Amino acid sequence: MKRFTFLVGVLILNLTISGCLTDKIDDNKASQPEEYEWVDDGELVIVTYDVYGLTDEMLEQFENESGYEVTLLKLDDAGSVLDHLLQHKGQQVADIAIGLDNTYLQTAIDNNVLWEHNAMLQNISESALLPYDGPLAVPFDQGYICLNYDSDIVDGVNYTVPESLWELTEEEWEGKVAIPSPETSSPGRAFMTATTDYFSTDSDNETEWTDWWSAMSLNDVIITTGWSEAYETRYTGGYGEWTDGYVGDAHIVVSYCHSPGVESWYNGNWTKSAALDIPKASFHQVEYAAALEGGNLDSASAFIEYLLSPEVNSKMPIENSMYSALEGYDLPEENGYLFHSVVPSEPAVVSSATIASNMEEWLEMWNKAMVDA
Amino acid sequence: MPEMNIRLSNSCALLAYTLLVILPLWLALDRLIWVAGANPLDWYSSLEQNYVSQGVIQFTFIQALTSTLATLAIGLPIAWQLGRYKWPFQSFTKAILTMPFVMPSIVAAMGFLHIVGRAGLNIRVDDSTWFTTLIIAHAWFNMALVIRFCEPVISTLDPRLEEQMRLLPAGSSKTGRFRHLWAPLLAPSIAAAACMTFVFSFTSFALVRWITLGDNTLESVMAGIGSSAGIEGYMISRNEIVLGSSMIQFTILLLSLFLMSWLQQKRQSLLPQVSEEVVKQSNPKGWTVIGPALAFALSPLIAVFWASFRIRNTDSSGTHYTWETSGWEFAFSSSNSMTSAWDALYNSLGYASLTLIIALPLGWILAQTILDVEKDKPRFARFLDVLTMLPFAISSVMIGLGVMLGMIRIDAEFFYSFWPTPALAHVMITTPFVVRIMLPALRAIDPEYDECGRTLGISKWRRFFQIKLPLLRGSILVAVIFTLAMSLGEFGASWVVTRNSDWTTLPIMIDSLRAIPYNNSLTAPAACAVSSVLMGITLVLFTWAEKFRPSRDGGMF
Repeated sequence: MKRFTFLVGVLILNLTISGCLTDKIDDNKASQPEEYEWVDDGELVIVTYDVYGLTDEMLEQFENESGYEVTLLKLDDAGSVLDHLLQHKGQQVADIAIGLDNTYLQTAIDNNVLWEHNAMLQNISESALLPYDGPLAVPFDQGYICLNYDSDIVDGVNYTVPESLWELTEEEWEGKVAIPSPETSSPGRAFMTATTDYFSTDSDNETEWTDWWSAMSLNDVIITTGWSEAYETRYTGGYGEWTDGYVGDAHIVVSYCHSPGVESWYNGNWTKSAALDIPKASFHQVEYAAALEGGNLDSASAFIEYLLSPEVNSKMPIENSMYSALEGYDLPEENGYLFHSVVPSEPAVVSSATIASNMEEWLEMWNKAMVDA
Repeated sequence: MPEMNIRLSNSCALLAYTLLVILPLWLALDRLIWVAGANPLDWYSSLEQNYVSQGVIQFTFIQALTSTLATLAIGLPIAWQLGRYKWPFQSFTKAILTMPFVMPSIVAAMGFLHIVGRAGLNIRVDDSTWFTTLIIAHAWFNMALVIRFCEPVISTLDPRLEEQMRLLPAGSSKTGRFRHLWAPLLAPSIAAAACMTFVFSFTSFALVRWITLGDNTLESVMAGIGSSAGIEGYMISRNEIVLGSSMIQFTILLLSLFLMSWLQQKRQSLLPQVSEEVVKQSNPKGWTVIGPALAFALSPLIAVFWASFRIRNTDSSGTHYTWETSGWEFAFSSSNSMTSAWDALYNSLGYASLTLIIALPLGWILAQTILDVEKDKPRFARFLDVLTMLPFAISSVMIGLGVMLGMIRIDAEFFYSFWPTPALAHVMITTPFVVRIMLPALRAIDPEYDECGRTLGISKWRRFFQIKLPLLRGSILVAVIFTLAMSLGEFGASWVVTRNSDWTTLPIMIDSLRAIPYNNSLTAPAACAVSSVLMGITLVLFTWAEKFRPSRDGGMF
């Protein structure tokens, strides 16, 4: 008899599993708050990459103040966060996504994986709202992507400080420039986006942005999987020389315009790294927190409010090495953080809509430019 | 009635194996093909047409081949010295030299990073330094294979055979004896060791991820882009790359499996064997090999422990290192965005126990099933044999992707909030090993014991506990320890399966600590502190396993 019960059990288990195998993806998700269907389960599941601003103390404080229990799903990078949302379309496991930037956000919006939050917010800076000002995502930090150079080596004598991107395709820079791949890294993607603007507005009408990348490819540009590998392993101007896996073959790297400031902050007001302010070769990056379809809207909104509270958000420069998204909080002046950081005079201008509708094609064009060069 | 019970347990084990191991992989494959299309040629050409995976096939093969050669170059002299001569603390020496094989690869990666890196010997020059480091690390990892495969052959050959060779014209010189005696004798064992080394280097992930940052193997490419696989109409080339990579890996691993089973048959030596005691003489000169070998085997482990106490201080006056325990404190407190090492330790131990509870009975019953059906249905037994070996041909990253895509297809919400989920990958990886360890042990039991017991009227359960279990004790313990060690050190699959912060294991924590940019100079020492913990546990398990190892099995484990 027991055996019979067991067999029936196995049979039922089998049926339930195979019953669940059909892909239930409902494309017509509710997009109006009134139609949202969800339950407040007292939990907040955050999907993010390693955003270091989310410290344990901070999460604990939120748990204590709000009563929600927080779980983190950590992915490798910002791109993986978008991948995760798309993979779980219609069956999201998290309530909030933290770390999508303005090169990824619109794709998430177009795929209907985000919900309008109901957080009460104020004092968000105008610049942070520039790329996206809607109800589906809230900026929580920002910064500019820039080329950085090692001023000890690129001193105007041994190497000339470049004034245009084309200069980097010259022999002098062969194998000396490190760029994180736009395919796998968000700073890399932001920089590639900047080049689309840079070369469409330059005086040279003959060449496209892909020509520059091809020329860079021929000039042995170092393309890395992520920002850390470009900055820590390849770049000679930063703290990378203290890391074990350091190679140190690049004197120019794509990083943030305020990276030299961060260097200085950690080194007690000293750095040899400097940001390069080439017009249209920098890109304003904004990172967002967004409530997810089908998730706990209340806990997500509560966390957004918490993240954007002056107390938490003002710490972004220290905790997350990024600018605050709030008005009136600049980088700290201590240890030369502010002094060594550059605000680019003329960043590239590419609208979020343009980015979203072109990104996949751009990546294909980039890939082709690099491989065929 | 007992017959029925056996059949039922066999069928249940098969069913469980299919559900736990085969189903997720099948679902993942199905999903990938649904997105990428079912044209293997497209998958393959995608590897060269995409910047992210260009040159990866070449790099994977070159590093695997070079690693294999380096492993043989380092391993063979050690195996020769160990096999031919007497050493003080013989089993201890041998244990140290074979220990690297069970060390988690992430610990080895940390060790070699520190030896070569700034805080260690500071011998970094350029990319080639790191390529060489990778090769040496692979050799460190796999030299145990050469020792395990070759040493028993050398140590048990009747010395009279060599004496006889000396008298023959072809064997009068050293080279002659090498060509006509040792080379043909050792060839199958060397080939088997080379084959396994090639496989492990080919699918290397943690070492490649941390040591050769600029270069990828098929395994690390899959891990890197796997997150965007399986989404309809999105980044289709990524799906093709994943499919292409796993297809190549699967082919290589499958070929190696067949080669191995063929070589294993060849290794069943028919030459006269004697006890080690007869063969071995002492050889003081041999220390020039064994001494450095011991240092080599231990150095990455010492480096990891050492580096966990070295803290860097950089300010305008320069950089200096101090001895502190703050790395350990940092790892064991939870003051950053990471769970503390205590949580990681509990998770690791929890998953290892869970894996053991599932994989050991499952593997055992599967082995028994294969044995049971062998007499009546040899073909079906052969099929089962291959089926249980299948996960061997699937790399751990592929298994991780299988679990990830599989759980999305079944019930994502449930699996993400279900703490035991990562153990599924561990079960998939360890079960085949349990089958491999238990099958020969079960086969070796003479059925007459059981029949005698039955004739004497001893009950089924007493026969099991008093006859079968004591006979299997050694193999069960080896399987237990091996399962625990593999689960504790598992990195590739856990890394790919989405990392719920409540699931963080020791290897994953080491990786995350090292990946923190800037924040402070404690992250690298903290990563080494966690590595030291993992290393300690592994060493305890390994020492324990050494006690129960059948003395001259010549197998891998």
